[in-house]
Amino acid sequence: MTTEPQIRDPLEIERAEEARLRTAAGLPPIPRSAGEFAGFESVGLPDRPPQTDRERDVYTLDEGEMLVNMGPQHPSTHGVMRLVLKVRGEVVVDIDPVLGYLHRGIEKLCENATYTTVMTYVDPMDYLSSMHNEHAPAIAFEKLYGIKAPKRAEYIRALVVELNRVFSHALMMGFLALDMGGLTPILYGFINRDEVVDLLSAISGQRMLFNFFRVGGVNFDANDEFISRLSTWRAGVLKNVDMNERILTDNEIFRGRTIGMGVLSGKEAIALGVTGPSLRASGVPFDVRKAHPYSIYPELEFEVITQPGGDVYSRYMQRIAELKQSIHLIDQIVDKMPHGAVQAQVPGIIRPKPGRAYAAVESPRGLYSVYAISDGGPNPYRFRMRDPSFVSLQAIPKLMPGRLIADTMAVMASFDPVMGGVDK
Amino acid sequence: MRLLLDRFPELAPTLWTDEDTVEVCIEGDTNVAVLGRLRDDAELTFWFLADAAAVDYGVDQHLEVVYHLYSDRHPAWLRVRARVDRANPHLPTITGLWEGAMFHEREMYDMMGIIFDGNRDLRRIYMSPDYRSFPLRRDFLLPDDAADSPAAGVNPLERPETWDLTRLGEGLAPGAMVQGEGDS
Repeated sequence: MTTEPQIRDPLEIERAEEARLRTAAGLPPIPRSAGEFAGFESVGLPDRPPQTDRERDVYTLDEGEMLVNMGPQHPSTHGVMRLVLKVRGEVVVDIDPVLGYLHRGIEKLCENATYTTVMTYVDPMDYLSSMHNEHAPAIAFEKLYGIKAPKRAEYIRALVVELNRVFSHALMMGFLALDMGGLTPILYGFINRDEVVDLLSAISGQRMLFNFFRVGGVNFDANDEFISRLSTWRAGVLKNVDMNERILTDNEIFRGRTIGMGVLSGKEAIALGVTGPSLRASGVPFDVRKAHPYSIYPELEFEVITQPGGDVYSRYMQRIAELKQSIHLIDQIVDKMPHGAVQAQVPGIIRPKPGRAYAAVESPRGLYSVYAISDGGPNPYRFRMRDPSFVSLQAIPKLMPGRLIADTMAVMASFDPVMGGVDK
Repeated sequence: MRLLLDRFPELAPTLWTDEDTVEVCIEGDTNVAVLGRLRDDAELTFWFLADAAAVDYGVDQHLEVVYHLYSDRHPAWLRVRARVDRANPHLPTITGLWEGAMFHEREMYDMMGIIFDGNRDLRRIYMSPDYRSFPLRRDFLLPDDAADSPAAGVNPLERPETWDLTRLGEGLAPGAMVQGEGDS
């Protein structure tokens, strides 16, 4: 695997040359100033003293450095996030992600909602994996309440969850190319997505915010329209994905910009809490579906896929491999699906016994988990969600120093963050 | 679990399990020592920090930081509950063990006001830097909790049998709205 050549800083070259000449002439070296705190006005904020050491470091500028805002309305920040870039010319020196532009206080909202209505609040969190967002609370609340969903409901859950993973990964392929200037793959990505979304709306009645999971089952059974559409979709989906792949996987420009870019080692990824496809692309075989099986995943046959590289290209290939794996999982689920009820008997307002429950699922972006505490009332006492893209974002300031500004988007898109989930 | 008790005999009284979780409680200031041993012990090897969250148990109770750990040698999640004093919410940081705990700790500081000593970057992450309150604490006042609201102190979901549908909407006269809390 080739690594991208590091670009030498022109200022460093100049200084090295100057030092060489001065030593040759027998002069002492010039003392360098330590850099000055630049304040917040340069990025358009009211000035104030820095709050932490890290903030002081980011906003302290050496000679030739400057601060640039990327976002919050930047099209390739996947929502509204601001990256404060410290740059020297075209080279990134440091990055400080500023979050919270999409913060809606969903945890607080959920603490004031009943267990059933929590499902509607978690939907718009990570809006590209709404089904996964509902899956984890459903498992946690069932654990709290002490019921099990019927077998058919578990199969339908696994089915919609894998469908959701397919469209999320298909979109990621498109967004990664879009952020690097390739406009076509996103159109194929949206074709793939829309087909799946139509399928999911046939079973749940909604296009984006499905509100499909219930405590103790799912809202609707798989109807005939859904089943027939599913088989039509299944016949054509691999062709569409291949079409997308043909544009990107062997594309010279795409490979040139992604191979060796943003290499994250397995050790770093674990320390940073990166999960999901991005972690497996660094060679760590951690998949919650295998590591801590839930729902019906112990009954399905699949392997945890990993990539050795850890760069942007590996993360892209990992997504494609998992997309195809999900399609095979869907085949298995449809083959094995039993008959029966899809909803256990639960009252309208659920009052679990006081207790605590933790449930984690593998969302398209990694480990999505819910920690719920019940005090015996109709609302969760505490409802905590761990969103994978929130944690994965910490890798970006680690990977970018020494790279070009334009590659920031490629690296960011390869982690596939969704701001709705990051900001909760 | 037996292994856990071998290594940490002092935690035995707090041990609690459910179908897929093992739970222990520790004092807040021992978190780095305990989590570090859990991670580095050759047989425990809890190498992955799945979650770190804060819980508020009420105004006259304590706060708590909850860590969820995973190890591929053991089938269960390990939940470590670290007790934090409400009057003095300080806790050592675990960013030295897992760098990725940084955002979790910033979020806990932002939402619950727990201060992690030694954290290099402890500032607000969701709310703006000049925000004063800690929204996820139990004593944080929501607009409908305000004392002059017609709904003060009543959770209608508690007693659906008392719902009087004919009177629904009476409390919504303009004068009854909470002043200064609506959309501007």
